[in-house]
Amino acid sequence: MWSDSLLIVFISICTAFLGEGLTWILVYRTEKYQKLKVEVERQSKKLEKRKEAHGDSLDKQHKKKIEREEERLKNNNRDLSLVKMKSMFAIGFAFTALLSMFNSIFDGRVVAKLPFYPISWIQGLSHRNLPGDDYTDCSFIFLYILCTMSIRQNIQKLLGFAPSRAASKQGGALFGAPPAQFK
Amino acid sequence: MSSKSKSSEGSNKVKALESAWKRALVANAEWPDKEEFLDVIYWMRQAMGIFLGLFWGLLPMKGFLGLLLFVLVNAAVIYFYVNNFQNIDEEEYGGIWEITKEGFMTSFAGFLVTWIIVYTGLHIADNL
Repeated sequence: MWSDSLLIVFISICTAFLGEGLTWILVYRTEKYQKLKVEVERQSKKLEKRKEAHGDSLDKQHKKKIEREEERLKNNNRDLSLVKMKSMFAIGFAFTALLSMFNSIFDGRVVAKLPFYPISWIQGLSHRNLPGDDYTDCSFIFLYILCTMSIRQNIQKLLGFAPSRAASKQGGALFGAPPAQFK
Repeated sequence: MSSKSKSSEGSNKVKALESAWKRALVANAEWPDKEEFLDVIYWMRQAMGIFLGLFWGLLPMKGFLGLLLFVLVNAAVIYFYVNNFQNIDEEEYGGIWEITKEGFMTSFAGFLVTWIIVYTGLHIADNL
């Protein structure tokens, strides 16, 4: 059981590096991506500073300037996601295939024991394809997802591929209202 | 608030790059670059996740209490570190909530993995 869980940690480290490596080849090293990334980061920081300085003022000129910059940033952010999108699809397909392979290898095998009783909507994941009613048994997929969640993001951050906070904060405004502190 | 460190920004930046980790251990250190401070919080969280996972697994801590204690300890340590040790004005970072959630999910996942694996390895050995 223990060797299985350690193997899963190892697998997820490998797949995280593989994923980042592939993304680097397909996206990160391209000139277009690098240019856009620098641009988005610069604009995000500038916008954040401007909002901090003039956020509460009712000056129409400032507001207009901020709005114009927001619009430009949105466009750049959209371009950046488009550049990423294509390769993300390719990597997504490759990883789905890889995952289903591992899934069949570990099918029906208890890879670890959970030290807690998972809540009902987690049980579907943590007890996937496992025999018996002992819900503290842990399936491959649950451990793999947890490993990926922690390892992949940390590797991204270590390698410097994670999007900067300013950019993701401003990028968040793409999908909804701007964060409350800027209102 | 934002004009505090304007005059010495250039020289501060050079220093900042050199000693972010040293300053992390010094009380009331200055943080001209917000990103840097948030990075320190992020990595502190990750280390804490692994450490608590290891500790909970060794004990062994079991059940919902383990999860709850992790969340409480994690939040309390960061809150204490930010407010009492570094005396940071949390509003500069968008409120205490922004700091509290910085890197939380990743550290939670890391904690769970360590806890589960150490617990399985040490206390469920007869199932091997």
